[in-house]
Amino acid sequence: MKKKWISAISGLAVGVLASAVFFGDFSPKQPTSTASAKTNAEKVYVPFGKKDEYYLFASGGHSGQLFVYGVPSLRRIRTVPVFSLDSATGYGWDEHSKKMLGGYTWGDLHHPAFSETNGEYDGKYLFATDVANSRAAVLDLKTFTVKDIISVPNTSGPHCAAFVTENTEYLFLPTRFAVPLGNKYESLDDYSTKYRGVMSAVTFDEKAQKLHIAYQVALPPWSYDLSDAGKKISKDWAVVTTYNTEEATTNLEINASKEDRDFIVLFNWKELEKMVKEGKYDIVDGQKVIFPEKQKGGIYLVPVAKSPHGVDVTPDGKRFIASGKLAPLLTVFSFEKAFKAIENKDFAGERNGIPILRYESVMEREVNPENALGPLHTQFDDKGMAYTTMFISSEVVKWDPNTGEVLDRVPVQYSPGHSVAAEGDTVSPDGKYLVSLNKLAKDSYLSVGPSHPESMQLIDISGKMEVIQSAPVDPEPHYGQMIKADKIKTINVYPKDESNPDAVYNQKDARIVRKGNEVHVYGIAMRSKFIFDAKAKRPDVIEVNEGDKVFVHLTNIDRDEDITHGFAINRYNLNIEVQPGQTNTVEFVADKAGTYPIYCTNFCSALHQEMTGYLLVKPKQ
Amino acid sequence: MKKAKLSVSTAIIVSCSAILTGASLFFPWWGMRFVAPQYPEGLDIIVYPNKLKGNIDIINGLNHYIGMKPFSEESFPELSYLPYIIGALAIFLLVVAWLRDKRLLVALVVVFAIGGLLGLYDLHRWLVDFGTNLSDDAPIKIKPFVPPVLGENRIANFVTNSYFSTGAYMIGAAFFLLILPLWKERKR
Ligand SMILES: [Cu+2]
Repeated sequence: MKKKWISAISGLAVGVLASAVFFGDFSPKQPTSTASAKTNAEKVYVPFGKKDEYYLFASGGHSGQLFVYGVPSLRRIRTVPVFSLDSATGYGWDEHSKKMLGGYTWGDLHHPAFSETNGEYDGKYLFATDVANSRAAVLDLKTFTVKDIISVPNTSGPHCAAFVTENTEYLFLPTRFAVPLGNKYESLDDYSTKYRGVMSAVTFDEKAQKLHIAYQVALPPWSYDLSDAGKKISKDWAVVTTYNTEEATTNLEINASKEDRDFIVLFNWKELEKMVKEGKYDIVDGQKVIFPEKQKGGIYLVPVAKSPHGVDVTPDGKRFIASGKLAPLLTVFSFEKAFKAIENKDFAGERNGIPILRYESVMEREVNPENALGPLHTQFDDKGMAYTTMFISSEVVKWDPNTGEVLDRVPVQYSPGHSVAAEGDTVSPDGKYLVSLNKLAKDSYLSVGPSHPESMQLIDISGKMEVIQSAPVDPEPHYGQMIKADKIKTINVYPKDESNPDAVYNQKDARIVRKGNEVHVYGIAMRSKFIFDAKAKRPDVIEVNEGDKVFVHLTNIDRDEDITHGFAINRYNLNIEVQPGQTNTVEFVADKAGTYPIYCTNFCSALHQEMTGYLLVKPKQ
Repeated sequence: MKKAKLSVSTAIIVSCSAILTGASLFFPWWGMRFVAPQYPEGLDIIVYPNKLKGNIDIINGLNHYIGMKPFSEESFPELSYLPYIIGALAIFLLVVAWLRDKRLLVALVVVFAIGGLLGLYDLHRWLVDFGTNLSDDAPIKIKPFVPPVLGENRIANFVTNSYFSTGAYMIGAAFFLLILPLWKERKR
């Protein structure tokens, strides 16, 4: 009997062995190479098959776009249109983007900001503001496309934005230009009484993918320059730099630089939120507006060396650092000291109804690196060390916020505005990399005439600072955000949405429906054809009458990564794209009779040239 | 005539074979992987006894260029009844193990073998059908072809690799587990 058991088990063992031979993975392990003693070229070279370690999102300034780079290669991966038209992606022609742009053709995209969870980038959304036309936008990082844009009333030029609170409760938009409430006409002689620098608190509804203005604060008629949200102990607070507290109305270069001191606005957004809940606001232009001179509390002024640019909160949330710009000085302030001064009502009077804290009671130290001029903006590394760009002396200075000691400095070419470190404005920066966003390239690259692109330089900050890569960048990177690549989870194909009445997922369902003088096309694009009407003699033809309103709903049924199709009509000045699996709509009035070829603009296949059709517009009788 | 009774160990092995056979229903049996310069990650057709998985839509989309018919689960009636045949086989095996009837076991082994060969023939038949009935309207004309049931083939820019998968190996192992005791008990 025992023998039988043994043979049974041995029989099974043979089966298991056989399956192990078939399924087992006996491939040899890849040897891992060590990263020691790499040359600069090796540090930035990312061979095919490997990916960059970080995404860098650089603001595209007055291009209205956002530029996506890989770090350390500094290869430009994608241009994402946000506030401007972009024919390459049909942005501004399809109905969704056209509505979002609201008739504006350009924007000035300033400071991008990631959504955060517990003070860390969560890789889900990116917010940006438009200084030109006072808008705010949100991008979904699953698709790298804009989901919503809002126009912000009562304010003009949210340069100072966007900054996001620790759990993306709010995105604050302070403004660069003071304007009368409601953008009404008011004489500049009445600037101090009639003008305001309104800051907006914006919330994001993730489910509806919509931005919404929760409330506004009618700050004094000053210019607000840069800002940062608090972290950890200061998480309910935020800081904003100001200039032109002189309230000059002309020739700001001179007149806004007269006083030795401007202010940092220090506010507690939890308290402002509470005021709004308690109804302590006025309605202006449809918005709930808090007037600080009427609703006391929650907002304070901290004197600072004149015309500061950046104000940045240290990763531990204990300090905020103002960069002097015109004063060659970095000022380290203490949140704890500020909280104590507020508690003790240790005020040095008021300005425009807002209490002023005493400089001496909030300031911790002034840092003045020798010959460093024009400090603009500060980022941090994993050890809490600060890196400040010096616009005028064209360098990055590393220093210790705990002691004020200057640790290192490296020249950059030329004139850095902002810099961006790896997760450098979160509660836990990564160190490793810092990108200096330089305003001038001049002779850095092959000449392209009198004007040149801007320049980004990658600095290895793991040891002694060293510039290891340089890349031209289009106008104009104001700030950036650098995030660990694995935090961003993109999709390959748009998921099917069976509830979308405009979508067609089966080519047999492609159809053209006429309603009076409206023509609705429910079509598909696939390699390598359009089908607008599956039952027609020529399925790739749209025939309408002159004056008809035409709606083309197009679904890309190639559910295959990167197989994007375009849809353009000759001489009709329109072009949209449909990404894999996406449904998009373009509307137009067929106001020109004649024959107009339709073609796919996004090269999709070997027979892409054949991916065409016709729009036939019958003339009016 | 005294019935040849299977040993207890054989009954256990036959039971294991039955379990393997039944379990194979939940695993893919056969697949074909398409690799092209543009698809280094490969596109897959993965065949289960009752369904198709993989990048069927994309493969159909590409195949229309060479005039191949699109295929789907509806194209293969086998997928609707195959699970019942396999399930029945598993149950019969359990019955045999319970009865420990050698002649029944031999009969099942024969059925098993014939079924397997028929299955392979059926697969081959479909490959011939799809590879040779190409539309004359195809934008890209290629010579009709028959992808092998097992192994590599080249169609245009694609290198295809046909392979048996987990379910088929389980079936193979199940068959092996039936042969093993029969061979062992051949002298009885
Ligand atoms: Cu196309």
